[in-house]
Amino acid sequence: MNTYTLSDIKEGLTESFEVTITEDMMEKFLSISADTNPLHVDANYAKERGFKDRVVYGLLTSSFYSTLAGVYLPGKYCILQGADIQFSKPVFIGDTLHVSGKVHYINEAYKQLEIKATITNQDNKKISKATIKTGLLDD
Amino acid sequence: MSREEIFSKVQDIFRDIFDEDDLVIEDTTSSDDLEDWDSLNHINLVSAIEKEFKIRFALGELQSLKDVGAMIDLMVKKLS
Repeated sequence: MNTYTLSDIKEGLTESFEVTITEDMMEKFLSISADTNPLHVDANYAKERGFKDRVVYGLLTSSFYSTLAGVYLPGKYCILQGADIQFSKPVFIGDTLHVSGKVHYINEAYKQLEIKATITNQDNKKISKATIKTGLLDD
Repeated sequence: MSREEIFSKVQDIFRDIFDEDDLVIEDTTSSDDLEDWDSLNHINLVSAIEKEFKIRFALGELQSLKDVGAMIDLMVKKLS
């Protein structure tokens, strides 16, 4: 886990990581969220509507924006204040996602970071983008 | 930039942050007047103003502000 403090952080600082979506993740997200929409749980339903398989929950993939802030940028001293997320492509089980964020703006008076983040798949296609706002707790 | 121009842009920022297209602010408007003006939205306001006007505030400057008019006066000084 990274331990960036305000004095360590400059605009442009970038962190990233990769994660592969598994069936187990889908089951756990279903269990937590109780989102039983057939697009996520019924492969036939999804295929009939033009998708190659059932679609991974958008908020499951977006949970990695939480990981980005809480573990990587800034890491330990993060307190997440908001995330504005836009989805652009579907994600499927087995996809490997590259999660990346760059510090776009620093509010030094109130110790708040604005991070521009993206998630791309193994084909380098952007599946979502986000603007994340996070405060920094005292170390 | 005149005080009126600054005020107009700040009003647009308030409307965006508070999601109220017809929100009208005055010099005397303070956090007591807007229910959603909590600490987090206050930070968002300051960040939006800093980015829009390309200025930076120190914490000490912000702590002494009592209303929108005081903020605008501080901005006029920084932008002059």
